[in-house]
Formats: sequence, C-alpha cells, structure tokens
Amino acid sequence: MSIDKRFNRRDFLKMGAITGAGALLAACGPAATQAPAAMPDLTSGNSIPLDQLLEAAKAEGGLTTIALPHDWANYGEIIETYKSKYGLTVNELNPDAGSADELEAIRANKDSKGPQAPDVIDVGVGHTETAMADGLIAKYKVADWDTIPMKDPDGYWWAEYYGVLAFEVIKPDIADTPQDWEDLLKPEYKGKVAMAGDVLKSNQSVQTVLASGISRVGTLGDTTDSAVEAAKAGLEFWAEMNSAGNFIPVIADQGKIAQGETPIVMEWDYLALANRDALAGNPELDIVVPASGVLAGPYAGGISAYAPHPYAARLWWEFVMSDEGQLLYLKGYAHPIRYTDMAARGVIPAEMAAKLPPAENYAKAVFPTIEQLTATKTYITENWRKVVYGE
Amino acid sequence: MKRGASIWAWVILIIGLLYFFIPLIATFEFSLRAIKGRYSFEAYRLAFMDPAFVRNFGYSLMWCVLTIIGSLALVVPAAYWVHLRMPRLRPVVEFVTLMPFVVPAVVLTFGLIRLYGAPPIVLIGSPILLIAGYVVLSLPYMYRAVDTGLRAIDVRTLTEAALSLGAGWGTILFRVIFPNLRVALLSGVFLTFAIVMGEFTFASLLSWPAFGPYMEEIGAMRAYTPQALALVSFGLTWGSIGLIQWLGRGVPSQGQVGGAH
Amino acid sequence: MAPESSIRNDSLSTTQGDAQPARPPGLRPGWKDWIGVVPFFAFAVFFLFLPSMSIVYRSFESPQHTFTLDNVIAIFTERSLINAYTASLKISLITAAGGAVFGFLLAYAVIMGGLPRAIRTFLTTFSGVASNFAGVPLAFAFIATIGNAGLITRWLESVLGFDIHQTGFTIYSIWGLSIVYMYFQFPLMVLIMAPALDGLRREWREACENLGGNSYHYWRFIALPILLPSLLGTAILLFGNAFGAYATAYAFSGSFINLVTILIGAQIQGDVLYNPGLGNALALGMIVIMSLSMAGYSWLQQRTARWVR
Repeated sequence: MSIDKRFNRRDFLKMGAITGAGALLAACGPAATQAPAAMPDLTSGNSIPLDQLLEAAKAEGGLTTIALPHDWANYGEIIETYKSKYGLTVNELNPDAGSADELEAIRANKDSKGPQAPDVIDVGVGHTETAMADGLIAKYKVADWDTIPMKDPDGYWWAEYYGVLAFEVIKPDIADTPQDWEDLLKPEYKGKVAMAGDVLKSNQSVQTVLASGISRVGTLGDTTDSAVEAAKAGLEFWAEMNSAGNFIPVIADQGKIAQGETPIVMEWDYLALANRDALAGNPELDIVVPASGVLAGPYAGGISAYAPHPYAARLWWEFVMSDEGQLLYLKGYAHPIRYTDMAARGVIPAEMAAKLPPAENYAKAVFPTIEQLTATKTYITENWRKVVYGE
Repeated sequence: MKRGASIWAWVILIIGLLYFFIPLIATFEFSLRAIKGRYSFEAYRLAFMDPAFVRNFGYSLMWCVLTIIGSLALVVPAAYWVHLRMPRLRPVVEFVTLMPFVVPAVVLTFGLIRLYGAPPIVLIGSPILLIAGYVVLSLPYMYRAVDTGLRAIDVRTLTEAALSLGAGWGTILFRVIFPNLRVALLSGVFLTFAIVMGEFTFASLLSWPAFGPYMEEIGAMRAYTPQALALVSFGLTWGSIGLIQWLGRGVPSQGQVGGAH
Repeated sequence: MAPESSIRNDSLSTTQGDAQPARPPGLRPGWKDWIGVVPFFAFAVFFLFLPSMSIVYRSFESPQHTFTLDNVIAIFTERSLINAYTASLKISLITAAGGAVFGFLLAYAVIMGGLPRAIRTFLTTFSGVASNFAGVPLAFAFIATIGNAGLITRWLESVLGFDIHQTGFTIYSIWGLSIVYMYFQFPLMVLIMAPALDGLRREWREACENLGGNSYHYWRFIALPILLPSLLGTAILLFGNAFGAYATAYAFSGSFINLVTILIGAQIQGDVLYNPGLGNALALGMIVIMSLSMAGYSWLQQRTARWVR
C-alpha cells in the first residue's frame, strides 16, 4: 500500500466522494413512485381490489414498518409471509419503539420519503386520538372491514389483536407466585417487580398502571371519569410499589429476565408466552393472569398519511386483517380481533385454538372504550412523575 | 533512591483490575449459559449466524469509511495550513474542535433534526446528517491526532527543504508530509473506527441501521446472544487499539481518549 | 533557513522581490491557503454552530412562535426539570471527583509506582477501549455484577451472608449509576494524566532529595503544584463527560431515571413534555454548563503547558 498514491487520488476526489456517496445513498431509497397510468384511488378510503393493489404495490417495491419485534404476536412470521407471498421487501425500523415513538417517527419524516419514514404503524388504541388529531394517519377500509369489532367509523384505524396483562415470573427465583396485583406489594417481592416498557412512551406500561388501578378500584366503569379514577388509583399503587422498593425502575427484557434481574415482569400474555418458548425453560417461567384487574389491550393499526409506499401499506393491511393474517397472530398467542367472526365461520384450526391462553382468563377481561383509553393514557403520562416520584 | 515497586502501587492496580474485569467476567459467565444446565458457546454461534448482525455490522463499517474519509478531508488540510501558514487561526480551530464536547450528542441530534428536518434544507432522509454527526464526534480526536503528528515532525523545515529542492505543493504534501504523519493519521483513523462502530445516540435518534442500535435491539429481544456480542465487540476494539500501539511504537506518544456515552 | 533566492518558482508566494523578511516568502499566507481551511469551517458552521444556534434561538420560542422567557424560566421553577438538572449535576460531580482521584492513583501506580513496563501498556490499551465502553453492554455488565441477581450480589450473600440490597443499595440510583459511570471515567483520567505524569522529570525528585526533602516535600512543593492544573482540568473534562452521557443512563432505566440527557432524548422521540421550546431550553441549559466547563478546562490546560513540553 503506497500512502502517497492513496492520498493523491483521494485529494481530488475527497469532496466529490463525500457528496457523491451522500447523493448515492440518498438515491438508494425506494423505487420512484411515478404513478403509472391508472393508479387506484387513495383518497376515498375504500378497499382496493387485490389485483390492482398488488400491481401498484409491486411498482413501489417495498414497505417500511416500525416497532414490530419478531416475537411480538408472531410478527416475525407475519413479515416473512408478506415478503414471500407478495415478493416485496420490508424495511424494518426500530423494533424497540413505543407507541409514542412511532407517531413521532411519522411527524419527523413528514417531508422526507426516505427509509426512516414508516408506512404502517401498530400503536395502542389510546394513541389513536393523537394520531388522528395531528393528521398522521390516512383512512382505509380493508375488505374484511365489517367484521372488525373495534375501529374508527371513518376508517382511520382499526384494532388488530389483543391480549391481557399477565405476570411473568421466574419460577426458580420466586417461591410464591403472586396471584393478584395487591400481592405485588408484599415485602418478599422487594426489588423484584419490573415493567417491560417506559411509561412515557410504551402503551404496555401505561396499561400496566391502569390494570393495577382497576384491580384496586374494583371496576373500570363506563365513563371516562371512572376510568380516570382507576388510572389515579393505579398511579397510587405504583407510588407505593416505588416507596416500598418493590418496583425496580428498569425496563425488563428477555436478557434481564434470563439473567434473573427482573423475576416478576408485567407483560402482555402473548409476549410472556413467546418468551417462555424462546427461553425454553432456561429459566423456567410461570405465567399468571391476575385474579382481578384483567385488562385487555387491543393494538390499533394505521397507515401513515405521509407514507412513501401507500399501496404497499394498504396491501399489508389487507393481508394482516385477512383470515390468514389473523391466524398468524393466533399462532403468536395473541387473540386476533376478528376471533369471534372467524370462530363462527369455523376457520380456526382446533390445535391452534388450544394453544391460546385458557378462556377463563378472559372471562373477566375488561375492554376499555376508545375514549377511556385516550383519557387514561393522557392522565397517566402527565402524572406519572408527579405521583410516583413526588415531583 | 531505590525505585522498586511499592506495595501501594500493586494494591491500587489490583483494585483497578478487579473493578474493570469483574463486570466483564460476569457478562462472560452469563453468555455461556445459553443452554440450560451447562456452559457452552451456543450464544456466540447464534450471534454470528444472525443475518441482521452481518447487515448492521456492514452498515456500520460503511459509516466508518465515510466518516473517516470526511474527517480526514476536513481535518488534515486545515491542520496543515494552520500549522504552517496561519498560526493565528490555531485558537479558532481548537475552539471548534472543543465544541463537540460542549454540545453533547443528544443535544446536537436534537438541533440537527430541527434544523434540517423541514424546508428549506431537508437532509433528514439521507445519511448525510448521520455522517456529519459522526464526523463532528470524531473531530476532536482526529484533529488532536493530526496536530500531535504535525508537532512531532518539523513541518516547517521539511516544507522548506522540499521547496528548496524544487518540489511543488502537491509533492510536498503527498510525498513528504503525509508519509511522516502515517502513524498519527492511523491513530486518528482507528479512534474514529472505534467511536463510530460503537456509537448509539446518533444512529438511534436519526433512525439509521448501525451496529450500536442493533446491539440495543437484540439486547431487548433476546437473551445470551447480545451479551456474547458485547464481549466480542469489546475484544475487537481492544485488538484494534493494541494494533495502534504496536504500529506507533517508537513514535512520541499520542493521547488516545474516550468517546461519547 | 533556506536562501530566499532559490524560492522563486513557488507559485504561492506573494510578490516580494528579494527583500529579506523574517520568514521565507514562500511561506507567507496567501488567499489560496484558505482553500485548505474553508471546508473545515464550512462544515463546522453548518453542522455544529447552526444547529447549536438554532437550539439557543428556539429556546426562547413559545408554541405560538413568539418570543418568550417562559421556557428558560421553567428550568428554574418546574420541579421535575430542577430535579433532572440536580441529578445530572450530582452524578457528574461524584464521578468527576471519584474518577479524578482513583484515576490519578491508578495512573501514578502504573507509571511511577515501579510496576513492570508491560502493565502500563496493558492499562493504556485497555483504557482506550474502556473509555468507549458504554450503553447497553456496560449497563448489562453491571446489572450482571451488582444487580439483584448479580455475580457479586450472590457471592456476598452466599459467602458472607450479607445482602447488599437489604441496606437499601440499588444500582438504579444516583450512586449506583455513578459506580457504572466510573467505568469510563477512570480510563479517561488515566489516558489524559499519563503524559502529564511523564512530564514529571526525575531530576526534580533527585534535586528535592539532594536538598534534604522527603516524599512529602516533593509532593507538596513540586509535583502537586505542577500537576494541579492538569488534574483539575481533567476533572472538569470528566464532569462534562458524565453530564453529557446518554446511552448508558438510558440503557438502565429509560425514562424512569430523571436526567437532563434522558429528558432531551425523550423529547426528541416523543414530545413527552408537550412543548418543543422546553426541549430546546433544556438543551440550552446543557450547552451553557458544558461551555463553562470547557472554558475552565482550556484555561487550566494553558497553565499546564508551561511545564509539560
């Protein structure tokens, strides 16, 4: 290697190289979205026939998703199936993102059609109000629209799947598995309880607070006020957990569970079950749905209003909300939102249904309304630091 | 006076070594537990088999190369000209190289996104912001390395000697100065390499694929393999720094210091 | 110096004829020299100064885009923000002091303590890596060591019957995080003090002894006064380093821990403060604090330069 030769060339190309490389990388984005002659209409929000949609999506070439960890309700397989079935690529952004992060990603990339602009989002239902108010999502009604029980009437968002919050307990480390929320306050669990997300950003953690509140108050009630009461009780519960020292302010993940740092974690049951599969007994996990305060948490899907690949995004939803897509959620231990409809038509294979958490868990499940979810999310995120840390 | 090793020196050293190595050993011990009941290197095997590992590592390598090119292109001419012809500018240049310490990565990303995320100049879709961020991060170390190198060789005499022998500026720069800066440049290059490979803040907040965020993501999604990877990357970085030391033996020591956290 | 008459074909020389300047004409700055430095300064302006200035400017912007001091005032009045700054300052002071003291001892032990030369090289290369070791891997390493199920925790419990968590110790606190931060503070101190310690000439020690002084005199009157600017300067650097740390704190507790960098990061990712101007004001606060520390560091560095040539 001759140093002077190397620098000789470099000297003249250095500025050009930087700009050139930058321009090249900038151009390495998705294929140009030059609309071919008759592109299906996007503004009405009606379902687009599959063949037209497929053609338009293929012209786009790929899809950008965000916040879809592979072992969250079997998203790994869902993404792979979408890729192989339609021959499109999928650019996966930050799987760790919380619901708030997803909305921010849309906001931050409004004017850019680059690879960090997500096409589709999967957020907690409590975040859909903000998304609509800020004009971040576009409307679209999939072919199976009528059988979706929870959705926005205009088609801006729709629920995809749900589960209930469960305790994920490391069996060898905990002698007495807690059975209910109040048990968590017991002194034997000092320094052992953790949440799986950041309260300010993750829907799961917000719901954890709400569920504990529902357990305390006894009921969620029917109005937003009663829901906010429950949220308040939840914050007080966690304030007690914090001062008792039972709550570890760390974000639990598979690594920390495996290592034993967080012996008790509150997660969606489908995540807990997926963890149990992944860890395969190393260590052994006990998954318990609490006796009271059983909160069902549906997640809502939407299409970014600034999506670089609008057709691929719609194709994604046609797939995910179809029987095939919904069954893939089932495989990941989550309840597909169209479960009742599919069960009535007998399209759910018996062995798959058997793998789900037992139906008794869901007997007491509470399904908050959209208004309740929005109100409680705002209340909890605004008051978390005040109530729990006294600031 | 007798200058044998004092007992205190050994005590301090041992305490230091314990503090540094016990956490590494704890991580290593955990990474061996991938298979229940016995120790194995399963986590390491799985870590390297993950296609996302290769992809993200590759991206980070690419960012490294671009950053190094950008950084060298900016720093070397500036340092040389300041050193040789415009010494009055030296305090200004040094102030600029201290700025990255004043504006931490988080804050700078914040400013970059707000400034270049909306018209008139929209850079947020291209990796230019990321590379710019990395170059800013590496600026102090690259400049210090080049500056130390320039001080260690007598630039003025070399330049004048070359001039007096009839050399043009091109020849002076590329055949006289740069070969003498080889070690200093290498030191800056390796440091930039270490910084960019492990960098998390910029890549994560600007949403670009890179090794740093990848480590954090698999850390959140899996057990055992992320810890294995952390140790491997620690070892690799140690190896490259050792390489600098070895290549730089016999040359006046250049301070090599840490990066963003 | 080279005879001026032979430097005639240098195209960059300004026309000076054969006058005898102090410097050969070929080396006087001309407009072409600015080509070398313009890219550097242009880059600095676009990607360092402008973003920082935009932060300063927008800190005074209200949600209605008018000028307001509210954001800046909020830093001094809103409790959660005051706590964030307090916590950040606390950690920075603790780790700067601790890092400076033990880092200096370590550097001294390895360089002047009479230990084998190989140990110095070992520690220097290790410090190069360790000073960059941060974020998730560092967080995990310490959780695996002194966390609830950590190696040391379990060892202490089984061998000494002593449960450190019963005493209320937790790694998820200012002190716990400080212990983790030391992992990159000690090496930074070692790396920066090493050249300074090298600069302590043996002759000075010998001269001291010749005049009848002992170790105490050496340190009190010779070594420490010379090293003090360097020590303090580096301590300030450590302070700034800890204050700006983000990845490691975030890896521990996300937003559960209230530090300024975490708050700013959360603001970038989710507008959790519901007020963008506030995020900028927080960043401005950080810039001010860091500028002060850098100014202090520079001033002390210049004082050191007298002795360490």
